[in-house]
Amino acid sequence: MLPIILLSVFGIALLFLGFAKSKAILLPATLLFIAIAFGASFVDWGKNYMYFNDMLLSTNLSIAFTAIVLLSAFMVVSLSSSFLEDESAQPAEYYAIMLFSLVGAIMMISFENLIMLFVGVEILSVAMYVLTGSDKRNLRSNEAALKYFLMGSFATGIMLFGLALLYGTSGSFVLSDLRSYVNGGVAYGSPLLLYMGLLLLLVGILFKVSAAPFHFWTPDVYEGAPTLFTAFMSTVVKTAGFAALLRLLSFSFTGIYSFWGVILMAVTVITLVVSNFTAVYQSSFKRMMAYSSISHAGYLLIALTAVGQQSKQALVFYSLAYSVATIAAFGVLLVVSRHQSGEGKPTDESYDAFNGLARQNPLLGFIMTVAMLSLAGIPLTAGFWGKFMVFTTAANRGIFWLLVVAVLMSAVSIYYYFRVIIAMYLRDGQTTAIRVAPFYRYVLIAATILTIVLGILPNLVRSLV
Amino acid sequence: MQAELLCILIPLLPLLGFVANGLGFRRVPASLVGPLAVAGPVLSFLAVLSLFSNFRAGGNQPFKALLFDWISVADLHINFSFQIDQLSLIMLLVVTGVGSLIHLYSIGYMKHDEGYGKFMAFLNLFLFFMLLLVMGSNYVIMFIGWEGVGLCSYLLIGFWNTNTSYNNAARKAFVMNRIGDLGFLLGIFLIFTTFGSVEYSDVFASATGMTIGDKTVLAITLLLFVGAMGKSAQIPLYTWLPDAMAGPTPVSALIHAATMVTAGIYMVVRSNVLYTLSPLTLEIMGGIAMATALLAASIGLLQNDIKKVLAYSTVSQLGYMFLGLSVAAYTGGMFHVLTHAFFKALLFLGAGSVIHAMSDEQDIRNMGGLRKYLPITFWTFLIGTIAISGIPPFAGFFSKDEILAHVWEHNKVLWALGVLGSAMTSFYMFRLLFLTFFGEFRGTAEQKHHLHESPLTMTLPLMVLAVLSVVGGLLNVPHALGGHSALAEFMAPLYAGSQQVNPAAFGGHTMGASEELMLMGISAGVALLSAIVAYVMYVRNAAVPAPDSAERSLPAKVVYNKYYIDEFYEVLIVRPVRALGDGLYSVGEFVVDGVVGAVAWLVRTVSGQLRLVQNGSIGSYVFAMVLSLALIIALRFFINWTSVLGYLNI
Repeated sequence: MLPIILLSVFGIALLFLGFAKSKAILLPATLLFIAIAFGASFVDWGKNYMYFNDMLLSTNLSIAFTAIVLLSAFMVVSLSSSFLEDESAQPAEYYAIMLFSLVGAIMMISFENLIMLFVGVEILSVAMYVLTGSDKRNLRSNEAALKYFLMGSFATGIMLFGLALLYGTSGSFVLSDLRSYVNGGVAYGSPLLLYMGLLLLLVGILFKVSAAPFHFWTPDVYEGAPTLFTAFMSTVVKTAGFAALLRLLSFSFTGIYSFWGVILMAVTVITLVVSNFTAVYQSSFKRMMAYSSISHAGYLLIALTAVGQQSKQALVFYSLAYSVATIAAFGVLLVVSRHQSGEGKPTDESYDAFNGLARQNPLLGFIMTVAMLSLAGIPLTAGFWGKFMVFTTAANRGIFWLLVVAVLMSAVSIYYYFRVIIAMYLRDGQTTAIRVAPFYRYVLIAATILTIVLGILPNLVRSLV
Repeated sequence: MQAELLCILIPLLPLLGFVANGLGFRRVPASLVGPLAVAGPVLSFLAVLSLFSNFRAGGNQPFKALLFDWISVADLHINFSFQIDQLSLIMLLVVTGVGSLIHLYSIGYMKHDEGYGKFMAFLNLFLFFMLLLVMGSNYVIMFIGWEGVGLCSYLLIGFWNTNTSYNNAARKAFVMNRIGDLGFLLGIFLIFTTFGSVEYSDVFASATGMTIGDKTVLAITLLLFVGAMGKSAQIPLYTWLPDAMAGPTPVSALIHAATMVTAGIYMVVRSNVLYTLSPLTLEIMGGIAMATALLAASIGLLQNDIKKVLAYSTVSQLGYMFLGLSVAAYTGGMFHVLTHAFFKALLFLGAGSVIHAMSDEQDIRNMGGLRKYLPITFWTFLIGTIAISGIPPFAGFFSKDEILAHVWEHNKVLWALGVLGSAMTSFYMFRLLFLTFFGEFRGTAEQKHHLHESPLTMTLPLMVLAVLSVVGGLLNVPHALGGHSALAEFMAPLYAGSQQVNPAAFGGHTMGASEELMLMGISAGVALLSAIVAYVMYVRNAAVPAPDSAERSLPAKVVYNKYYIDEFYEVLIVRPVRALGDGLYSVGEFVVDGVVGAVAWLVRTVSGQLRLVQNGSIGSYVFAMVLSLALIIALRFFINWTSVLGYLNI
């Protein structure tokens, strides 16, 4: 639990650092803070500890998810050098908010008490509302923030209602109490409050991980938010949300699988179909990435639908593979769109921005290609093994029709992922050589290498969990 | 632990060389390309030496170095591990040792080529895959190496890719090897379904419990042999190898003579338990090998391209190796692999030196008298020729003789044919030597002006290989000549399994020393006689082969045109396949494109409709959410599904 304390303290420290004249120290300091928290998260490795009066539980699984979240945050922050070039930006505040949001994410990952889940979700969400609107003079950014906030509070309301109902039936917020209550022999559909409570709670979290039909906010918000925070949202929030769902469903509510399993299956299918089909029609790369993130929520849901022994491994691996590839893709988009926009022109985040990119920038082209291949699940990338493991869980559970849908949708996804690759390598464009700062470049290269290494040696991570 | 580190380093070092020269192509300064490329093979040769001495010091204990668990799916477990035993060590020594020499030679040979760095990078990559092939401890790793060397062979044959006919040669090699690879792959699948593992140790251990003539083993061994046919250029898949001479000469020496083409022999020796279990496969192999040896040797008699002669000679010698294997003389086959690697690499490099000096002339009709201008090349080439002809006491004599002695015990007719092939070998090699190095120079005045001995980087490997070609035979001097078959003794533990399943095949020598000496005398005498005939024809009478356009008698014409095998394949296989392809293509155009187009249209239409749901208004978003929630609640709580289904009689 050290990271929670550390990150809170570091966040406050960052706000003080913001008073300094030079902003140059902020980025390295933030990276250092996250790195320290990353290291500190492994202190509890191999032990099962309850913290803070049984409010949080630290297990290897929660540490793995924490590590993924912190790694994602580290990579996103290291891509944030453009902040420092912008005169009017307040990087100290944004960095501090990111650190605070990580605290929320870690709470969602390791909660033992539903109150902590709620607090975690809220800490994370409120931080996200602010970050979405951080591009203050941009109308789209403001609109996105407001939309996100309104719909988010709506979802929070549903979720809180669900928590209240759960407390009302079982008399406890503690997961293990809920578990024994559920396993203590409840008849199907009765008490109704238990089922209703679980349903509402699920809907609340499904909203956060942008599963259909609760995903409507995602494309608008992802597109409107500054690209950097889109990357942050689509990785950190998603990982934390799925960790929370896994904790709930695989521990407390396995007893009533027959109830929620079917609902999740329906949500999974709708998510996969809607996201993949809609993504095909997008002309904006960033908006496509929003639908892509919805579709990956669908794949992750498969592992939950078929919850079993391998679901944990599958979810951890998939989250890692997805986060790394997504951040690499957004990282390339960031430099490319900034380069294309130039003086006075609006930022170009469409597919056309990538036309002919690879000719003058083979490295960026390669990084983007690997990221797209990984997201599409092509072998020799981490994404392939992620999908493979997720599909294996469903196969072991015998849910084959779901697999058929998932594989077909995966085939559809190749269309929109490969469009970028085609644009970069086969289309003509006027892209000149783009100068990428060394550290920025190293992070992108590291992400690419990680994607390929995990694609060849998946057991490096799989054997840990 | 230290041995494991060495095992990792051995393939890794050439790979690093590939990465350095490959990524740094056109960036690495030209003076650095050579050292970078040679460092990998040489260091890995040193690592092999150290591993070898450890192995000897440790009492010849085979071991497996496990690098990591590679694939683990349900019942399928494949380790990425290396097998270090007598067989892989011998191959490692050959591959890295001869490989290093050829890398060194390539510096001199390719230095002025535009793609110098790329060439060296490919050579390094080839070495990496070849090392994987021989070190892997299961069939899957062998297959990776197998495919990898095939890829490198393709890249290097078509290295001068602006020439269309070179590209065609590369493609031919690739396609023919694919046919073989399909057999190999099916063999691996069958091994997995039969034995439940692809790990050598598991497969061979359970194979020893099977009976001789088992049907499944027959199928496995035949399929594996199809793979070997492709890679090691046996009938009917041999025609790619002569064409592969389009590649730069060091490639011919390394890949198409010394190492890659012997992969098939390595694979059979590795799987010796399976082959011993299936005498029928061995019979078939013997027939094919003999036919290949004779066919290729006879074609070699009339070829006029210095590299083509050597190429047919390689095909023929590979036939001898398989002939040895087919009579369970596994050591004999490997011994010939070893000596062949020395003298054939030497001959190819010598040919390269000649071609280099002759400004890329390859036709021996335009050479002659070169021994005055290229003394080192001449002497080393002479040694290579004597060695391959089987004249004692050079290397080829011992290895070929060992094979022929085993064949004699097995089948006298095969032996006679083998001796006939050996006579032809001696003839065409000496013909090549005499036409190239003796008599008067027949080239243009300009070529004559440029004649020069090659630089040291090229002649040094020649000299080293010449020494090896002279003394290589001493590794396995038979008892009849006072030796104690050192190599056979060293390799004996490899055949423990085979001996267990079929002791009769390893009954040991039944013939006496005098009989063996007689056989040796005959084959050496025949080889000498052929050499003398060649001397009379091409030196005394100074005959020069007729130009391409000359009238030939019918048999000569058939042989000169390589029995029209290529034309035969063209009519019988290539054209029908192409016609089938064209037919399927037009069907595919219509049906497949239609289906694909329809699906794409459907996706776009659905997508276009779905997109409209996302209209940007918060009100409708929230409405959709609430509606979905209400729907779920209604479906889960207010509809009694059991009664609905009962009502519908489902």
